[in-house]
Amino acid sequence: MKSNGISGASPMTWLATAGLIVVVAVPFVFIILQGIFPQLGRGSLAAPLTHLPGLFDDTRLWRMGGNTVLLGLSVAILAALFAIPLALARALFKVPFALFWDVALLVPFMIPPYIATLGWIMTLQPRGYLQQLVGFNLSGFLFSLGGMTFVMALNTFPLVYFALSRTIEAVGSRYADVGRVFGASPWKSFWRITLPLSTPGLVASMLLVFSAAIEEYGTPAALGRRAGFDVLVTEIDLRVSDWPVDLPGASIFSLLLVLLSLAAFLVQRWILNRRSYVTTGSKPQHKEKRPLGKFSLPVLVLFAIVTFLATVLPLFAILSTALSKTISGGLAWNNLGLSNFSSISGNSAGALKALSNSFLLGISASLLTGLLGAVSAYVVVKTRFRGRNILDTMTVLPNALPGVVVAVGLILAWNFPGLPITPYNTPFILLLAYCCILLPQPVRYTTAALHQIGDNLEAAARVCGASAFVAFRRIILPLIAPSLVTSMLLVFAVATRELVASLLVAPVGMQTISVFIWRQFEQGSIGLGMAMAFVTIILTTLLPLCLIALLRRGGMVAE
Amino acid sequence: MTKSFLGAGLAVIASMFAAGTAHADITVYSAGPGSLIEKMAAGYTAKTGHKVEVFQATTGKIMARIEAEAANPVVDVLISASWDTATDFAGRGWLVSYTSPNAEKVPAALKTETAVAQGVSALGIVWNPNSGTPKPAEWEDLAKPEYKDLVNLPDPAQSGASFELVAALQAAKGWDLFKGLHANGAAVAGANAEALNPVLQGAKAAVFGAVDYISLSGKAKGESVEVIFPASGTVVAPRPAMILKWSKQQDEAKQFIDYMLSDEGQKLVADTYLMPARSDVKANRPLMSDLKVMTIDSASVYSKRKETLAEFNGIFKAGQ
Repeated sequence: MKSNGISGASPMTWLATAGLIVVVAVPFVFIILQGIFPQLGRGSLAAPLTHLPGLFDDTRLWRMGGNTVLLGLSVAILAALFAIPLALARALFKVPFALFWDVALLVPFMIPPYIATLGWIMTLQPRGYLQQLVGFNLSGFLFSLGGMTFVMALNTFPLVYFALSRTIEAVGSRYADVGRVFGASPWKSFWRITLPLSTPGLVASMLLVFSAAIEEYGTPAALGRRAGFDVLVTEIDLRVSDWPVDLPGASIFSLLLVLLSLAAFLVQRWILNRRSYVTTGSKPQHKEKRPLGKFSLPVLVLFAIVTFLATVLPLFAILSTALSKTISGGLAWNNLGLSNFSSISGNSAGALKALSNSFLLGISASLLTGLLGAVSAYVVVKTRFRGRNILDTMTVLPNALPGVVVAVGLILAWNFPGLPITPYNTPFILLLAYCCILLPQPVRYTTAALHQIGDNLEAAARVCGASAFVAFRRIILPLIAPSLVTSMLLVFAVATRELVASLLVAPVGMQTISVFIWRQFEQGSIGLGMAMAFVTIILTTLLPLCLIALLRRGGMVAE
Repeated sequence: MTKSFLGAGLAVIASMFAAGTAHADITVYSAGPGSLIEKMAAGYTAKTGHKVEVFQATTGKIMARIEAEAANPVVDVLISASWDTATDFAGRGWLVSYTSPNAEKVPAALKTETAVAQGVSALGIVWNPNSGTPKPAEWEDLAKPEYKDLVNLPDPAQSGASFELVAALQAAKGWDLFKGLHANGAAVAGANAEALNPVLQGAKAAVFGAVDYISLSGKAKGESVEVIFPASGTVVAPRPAMILKWSKQQDEAKQFIDYMLSDEGQKLVADTYLMPARSDVKANRPLMSDLKVMTIDSASVYSKRKETLAEFNGIFKAGQ
C-alpha cells in the first residue's frame, strides 16, 4: 500500500521507538555481541570471531536449517488446510452453534504445546490410552516428521482460523455481492473478490504459524529427536544447556533463525504491498450471513472432527493422566483419584503462588504488548516516519528469537556490571521476556486490520480539529479493537504458559505455572504436572471469555 | 480505552514490584529434586534465621545461567547433579575452600577441599513388572530378544551420570554392549524423566541406566516399577555442594553447608530416596555398601567426552 498517511504523530512515534528499543533491540544487540565476542558474559571483548570458522564447517548447521524450514512450511500449510474451510464457513455462513465452536477452537491456544505433545505421546505410544481403549497404537506415525507436523498444526491452526474468519467478516460479503450483481458466479466472486481481500489475514497468520513452528521447542525435542529430525531450536537449547555451555555458538545458530524469520516477513510484506486492501472506507457495514442449507451437516461434521482432534483428545489425555493415581495403573476405575488436584488446592510445592504469579505476568504482558503493538503498527502503517522500516523490522524480530535466546540476551543485557538499576532478578525480567517474545502477535494482527482502514477516516477527524492522539483513540483504536483484543488474549494465554525463557530468567525463589509443571515432570510426578496443566487450561480459557463478554456488553468488541 | 489500559497496566506492575523484591540473605542454585531443596531451605531458615532464595533447574540450565551471569554473579551456594561441575569450577578457581565440621562422616571419595556431596544417586535398570518381560539382572540382558524395541536410554549428552555410565561400561565391556542394544531396537530418549515416562505407561519395559531416586519415590507412591542394580557394577553420581568465591555472604553459605550435612539435613536427603552423603545416616533404600560401584578416572574420561559421545551417537544414529 502506498503510504499517504498523516504526518505529525510524533508522540506516538517516540513511544513506539522507545518501547521497541527496550523490549526488542537491547536483548537482540546483546545476542549479536555475544556472537561476535565469545567472552562477553565475563564482561570481556577478547578474541572476537575466533569461534566462527569451526561453526560454518559444521554441516549440521545447514542440515538443521533445512529441517527447520521444512518443518515450518509443513506446519503452516497443514494449519491453513485445517483452518481455511472452517474460517470460510464461520465468516460467510450461519454455522449452527458458531459461538460454541469458537470457544472449543480457542482451547488449543490454551494448551501448552509441550503438554499437548506429552498428551499425544501418552495417547498414541504402545500401551498408551488409544491402545488401552481400542487395542492399537500409532507410535510409528507420531515419532516422524508427519506426526510432528500433525501435532504442531493442531496446536497452531486456531491462529489462522480466528485471523482469517475475522478478516473475511470485515471484508463482508458485500463486495462479493457487488460482484454477483455484475454477473459473476458465486465461485468467481469468491475467488476474485473475497479471497484476494482476505489475503492479509491469511498470510499474516500463516507467517505467525511458520514462525511459531520454527521456534517451538517442546514438540521437536520430544518427537523429533526420536525421529532423528534435528532442528535449530533443539540444537540451540543443547548448546545453552549442555556443559560446557556454548553461548557464542548458540547465538550464531539463533542468528540463522532470525534470517529465516526475516525472509518469511519479507514475503509477507511483498504480498501486502502489491495492492490496496482498504475495505473500510465509510460507514459501518451490515454483515449479512447466509444460511448453509444442505451443507449444514458436512460443515458440522468438519467442525466436530477438527475440534475432537485439536481440543477433546488432548484434554482427555491430560485429564486422564491428572486423575490417575499412578501412571502404570492406566485407565482403570480403581486407579481414579483426585489426589493430584487436592495437592494443588493444598498449595503443595507452591502451586497456588505459581498460578497467581503467572496470571499477573500474563495480564501485564498482554496490556503492555497490546499498547506497544498497536502504537508500533500504527506508526509503521499510517505515518511517514523515516525510520518506520526499522521499527517494522524490530516488531518482527522476536518471532525469530527462540525463548531460550531471548532469555540469554536479557541476562547478558540486564546483568551487565555497573547498571544503577536493573530488572534482573525481579519479576520484571520475566515481563520483559514475555513482551519481547509475544510482541509480534498484536503487531501482526493490528497491522492486518490497519491495512484495511482507509486514511480518509482519520484525515476527516484531523480536519475537524482532532489531535493525532485523539484521532487514534477515537477512530483507529475502535476499528482495530477486535483484532487487538484477540491478539492480547493470545498474548495472555501464551505468556501464562511460556516455559523455556521462564526456566532461565525466573528470579530466584519465584515459580511460574510452566516452571511448576516442568519441575513435577522432572521429578516423575507427571500426574501432578498434568493436573496443574488442566487447571491452567480451564482458567486461561474462562478468563478471556468473561472478559469478552464484559467488553461486548460495553460495546468494545464487535459480535 | 488507552488510558484505562495504561492505568491498569501500571497498577499491576506496581503490585508485582512490591511482591517480588524481598531481599535474600543467601541464594542457592540447585539441581532437582525441587522438594528437597525447598525443605532444606526452610529448615535452614528455621535453624539460623537467615533467608534463602532458591533457583532450581537441571544442572545444564543452572550452568547456562551462571555462565550468562558470570560478569555479575548472584549465586552463593551451588548444588549440582554432576561431580564434574565441582572439578571444573575448582579448576577455574571459582570455589571457596571449606570443610564443614559435619563432613567428618562423609567418605573421602565424596568430598574435596572445595566441594562436598549433599547426597548420592546411583544408576540402575528401571523395569516395569507389568510389561510382560522377564526381570532383567544385568546390563547385557536388555540386548536380548525379549526386550526387542522395549528399552530406553537416557541421552548421555544431556545427563552427566548417563555419560559416566556409558564411559564406565564401555571401558569394562567395550562398545559391543551398545551395538547390541541398538540392534535390539533400544532408543535414546532425552533426559532422565523423558526416558522413564514411557516405562511407567508400559510403552517400554525398561530404562537402561536411569537415575534411581525418581523411580524409588515413584514406587513408594504405588507406581509399578523396580530398580535393579546389576551385580557387575554401576556408577554413582554424587551431588556436589559448593560455595562460590564471589559470594558476599560466605559465613551464611558455610552455615548452609553445615545444615545440609547435619542429622536433620541428611534425613531430608534420605527422605527423597537419595543416598545420604554421611555414611552414618540411615536410609530406606540400597546404600553405597550394597552396590558394586564402578570407578572411573574422571580426568581421562572427561577429556575424551567429545569422542565418546561421537562414538555413542554413531552407534545409535546409524540406520535411523
